[in-house]
Amino acid sequence: MVLAQESAATGIGIYLPLVLLFALALAFAVFSVLLGPLVGPQRYNKAKQAAYECGIEPSPQPLVGAGRMPVAYYVTAMLFILFDIEMVFLFPYAVSADALGLWGVGAVTLFIATFFIADFYVWRRGGLDWN
Amino acid sequence: MTNVFLAQADIEAPPIDYAAILPMLIILGAACVGVLFEAFLPKHQRWPGQVTLSLLALAGAGVALGAYAGDSPERGVTTLSGTLAVDRPALFLWGTLLALALAALLLIADRSVEPGGAFVAQAGIAPGTVQDREQVGSTGMQTEVFPLTLFALGGMMAFTAANDLLTMFIALEVLSLPLYLMCGLARRRRLISQEAAVKYFLLGAFASAFFLYGLALLYGYAGSVRLADIANATAGTDRSDTLLFAGLGLLLVGLLFKGSVGPFHTWTPDVYQGAPTPITAFMAACTKVAAFGAILRVLTVAFETTNWEWRGVLWAVAIVSMLIGAVLGLTQTDVKRMIAYSSIAHAGFLLIGTMALTDEGLSGTMFYLLAYGFTTLAAFGVISLVRDSTGEATHLSAWAGLAKRSPLLAGVFTFLLLALAGIPLTSGFVGKFVVFSAALSDGMAPLVVIALVFSAVAAFFYLRVVVLMYFSEPAPEGPSVSVPGAFTTAAITLGVVVTLLLGVAPTFALDWAGAGGFALGS
Amino acid sequence: MIPFLAQAQDPMTRAELIADDPLWLILLKAVVILLLGPILTIFLIVWERKAVGRMQNRPGPNRVGPGGYLQSLADALKLPFKEQVIPETADRKVYFLAPVIAAVPALIGLAAIPFGPEVTIFGERTALQLIELPVSVLLVLAGASIGVYGIVLAGWSSGSPYPLLGGLRSAAQVISYEIAMGLAIVSVVLYAQSLATSAIVDAQQSGWYFYLLFPSFLIYLISMVGETNRAPFDLPEAESELVGGFHTEYSSMKFAMFFLAEYVNMVIVSAFATTLFLGGYLFPFVGADSPLNQGWLPVLWFFAKMFVLLFGFIWLRGTLPRFRYDQFMKLGWKVLVPAALVWVVMIAAIRAIRNDGNVSTGQILVIGGIVIVVIVLLSLLLPEKKVPDEDSVPVTGGGYPVPPLNLKVPETTPRRKALQAKAKAARKQEPAALASTKEGSNHGDV
Repeated sequence: MVLAQESAATGIGIYLPLVLLFALALAFAVFSVLLGPLVGPQRYNKAKQAAYECGIEPSPQPLVGAGRMPVAYYVTAMLFILFDIEMVFLFPYAVSADALGLWGVGAVTLFIATFFIADFYVWRRGGLDWN
Repeated sequence: MTNVFLAQADIEAPPIDYAAILPMLIILGAACVGVLFEAFLPKHQRWPGQVTLSLLALAGAGVALGAYAGDSPERGVTTLSGTLAVDRPALFLWGTLLALALAALLLIADRSVEPGGAFVAQAGIAPGTVQDREQVGSTGMQTEVFPLTLFALGGMMAFTAANDLLTMFIALEVLSLPLYLMCGLARRRRLISQEAAVKYFLLGAFASAFFLYGLALLYGYAGSVRLADIANATAGTDRSDTLLFAGLGLLLVGLLFKGSVGPFHTWTPDVYQGAPTPITAFMAACTKVAAFGAILRVLTVAFETTNWEWRGVLWAVAIVSMLIGAVLGLTQTDVKRMIAYSSIAHAGFLLIGTMALTDEGLSGTMFYLLAYGFTTLAAFGVISLVRDSTGEATHLSAWAGLAKRSPLLAGVFTFLLLALAGIPLTSGFVGKFVVFSAALSDGMAPLVVIALVFSAVAAFFYLRVVVLMYFSEPAPEGPSVSVPGAFTTAAITLGVVVTLLLGVAPTFALDWAGAGGFALGS
Repeated sequence: MIPFLAQAQDPMTRAELIADDPLWLILLKAVVILLLGPILTIFLIVWERKAVGRMQNRPGPNRVGPGGYLQSLADALKLPFKEQVIPETADRKVYFLAPVIAAVPALIGLAAIPFGPEVTIFGERTALQLIELPVSVLLVLAGASIGVYGIVLAGWSSGSPYPLLGGLRSAAQVISYEIAMGLAIVSVVLYAQSLATSAIVDAQQSGWYFYLLFPSFLIYLISMVGETNRAPFDLPEAESELVGGFHTEYSSMKFAMFFLAEYVNMVIVSAFATTLFLGGYLFPFVGADSPLNQGWLPVLWFFAKMFVLLFGFIWLRGTLPRFRYDQFMKLGWKVLVPAALVWVVMIAAIRAIRNDGNVSTGQILVIGGIVIVVIVLLSLLLPEKKVPDEDSVPVTGGGYPVPPLNLKVPETTPRRKALQAKAKAARKQEPAALASTKEGSNHGDV
């Protein structure tokens, strides 16, 4: 319904307030981040610049980015992508669910059931278990 | 804009011709059930469960296909709002794919040649570690291979029937992603297997990207991704040819990559060598069928009217492919790599038939695909039998004098190599004959002459292996020939029998292949 | 179809009202929305500290300003004047960028929330909403998920183990709960048949969705706490495990930006929940035409509802202990996501059946779907038993043999046994030794 009104509101122009707000927010955030070094005291020493590890000497760790991360996070990330895509497809369905009627329900149920197949596999194989 | 949303009030469900797409639905459904098997069956029941399910699915799909093909409409049908075209070529290619997949599946399921099967027990183990050595001796196996095979097969079936480029792209991904995975699952020589998987994945991703770019450009040209709409758009002249030919070029790069046509073949030798041999067999046979099926459809349905513009380029590609396959094949010392180069040469021959764009060209190319698929599949089946203590002995030196150890195996392999070379009384000869005669009648005589020359060159390296097997002294520490289990025996027998049958009495298959053309309407 | 056309002909729909705004009004609204976040943050912090203090039988901050209510304002003013400490292992560009990435989406998140109906500001008719899009729900969701980049990049760029772990945890947590949140929203969209926030509010005139779609509301509430990394799901900054989590290495205003983002995100998800489930700015039980729902009054209702939800956050923090990480992920993936999916299918089916009186070809599909849902539910009830994996090999160990995980540590070792026997023998001899020599008496003194 509201989509139909968009033709009255002028095309891309309706995004202007958002762009404006984005610019303001960006300016605010950048200003704040840069404010610290400008007005704050600067009394550095070696110990301050070391990575914080509860007071002990920082462990000789892999440099930023070269370190390896637990593989479980990758599984979660992949699952997220899967389910996020599912969600992306559900939104347009939901908007026109009434127009699609029972046929749409059947189709969307099949779609979700397919996802559950993959979900079961991951679930039973321990992909969702953390320890 | 308002109209679009007013139309929302009654969205009609597209009609679906379930009978036509039933074979594909069976395969994809069985793949889903296979995933559930993996999730819910206890470990010791998975292998028998998966093998039964996969074989049943293939048989069921075959029966459904047979039942439908008997009284399918002459012009074919398009279904799922015109995204799939189930016409005679598609049905023939589906049948070919199902039969080839059956043989490949038998090879995959075999556990007698290599105890526990050719597949790794746990894919996440790094090569060369203690765990890796441990799993070589275990009899466990990653049974996910079976649903993955079915998914890939389902993708291939959709690929050959796709009537618009977007569906084709989805099918391309569905067939490719399982293959990338399966390449990295070899039980032995893990490192080379994983390397093959990564190479295939990276290059395959590039090829997919090319395909997608081409798709986008063609969409820009025609305003539609439907093959028929693109064909209609090429009839008008007021559009930008740059978009059309850049799009077609990029699209073809993606397709030719999948068909391992040179110069887009670079992945082929490494992947064929590194992947587990049953998977190599599956890939070599089925992927080629799917890729050339799609190339045939795209060129015939969408680009027939512009064929004078692109034919020259494809001439060059075919020549390069034959050259690379035949010449580099001569220098190989590994049997699997040699067959890989042979497949590149064959891709060149296939491309000649594809370019003809006549009914003879279509039926000839499809016949060639059928013949080549079975021959190469059986060849890889034989390769998996020649073993030493570290697994398959694929180095050519290990094959020296094999005829003295195992005359039967050497005989079978000789027959298959002769078929690949195109000697009369084998399917390879008939395949080459129909393809070349179709090309001749379409005015491609120079190309046919070149192809004949390269056939002769390629025949030389097949004969080299034959000579090596029969006229060399066997190496003292040479490999032994495993006694194949029932599955492998069945697969090799199937391949050999089909090769012989198509060589002696090709008429029935040629009739099927020539039963009808593509569904041109949308 | 008819009401459609009638609406399209209405010269002043909400979208047109907003699109007609002159620049000064847009600027005014933008500034107000931008400032709303920080101001509410400052208020929320002191409110939270005082409320949690009450719950724990202590007064909370009570020194700065009347009743201590200016405490967080003072803190906010203090922060820029603090020294910024940057670890030398940090990736400096990303390290500076991360707080900006975290704060900006939070600050623009409120743009699509309708705060009130049509009003007149300085003689200009407008609606209390910065931007009216046909897809504003997606805008809010997108803003919420972009913020997590800031957190991950902060953890990654600090070049220090605790922040890295905190950042990873946070990413995993936010994305896990985002799925459940999105699926809860799908059912609202299904009922409202629109992705525009104002249309969703309008659709709630006949009934608020929090009782019409109670399971969705519940899932949304849980996932909104998970999404904002708040107690009891504040694992990324679990003090006892990860020091400060992803912002361990941040100080001064950069730290303030993360703090701001966290609290503004709380405000956003609460405002979003108000819009989606609690009728937005509408007063309960009266129609949109009632004087209670006209002019500036609805803003009051909106904020009242939002503050109830915000107090919920504070209450949770004062009441519940922190979840364990595996429990938390389990709740998200094994309970909320499947439940939300099954619920979406159910309400879609119910709605479609209610709309279509006579069941047609779709009948078969629906029955098939219901069967699948039943199977899904049944299989969820299956006890989760581990499939015995007879030939599994331990994956860790980097190529070296590792001891089995279920290694039995013996009660005693042979060496310890020998020592014990020796000690026993010594004790036996001791009385005799005591009796015979005087040395024994020195034992106790030394």
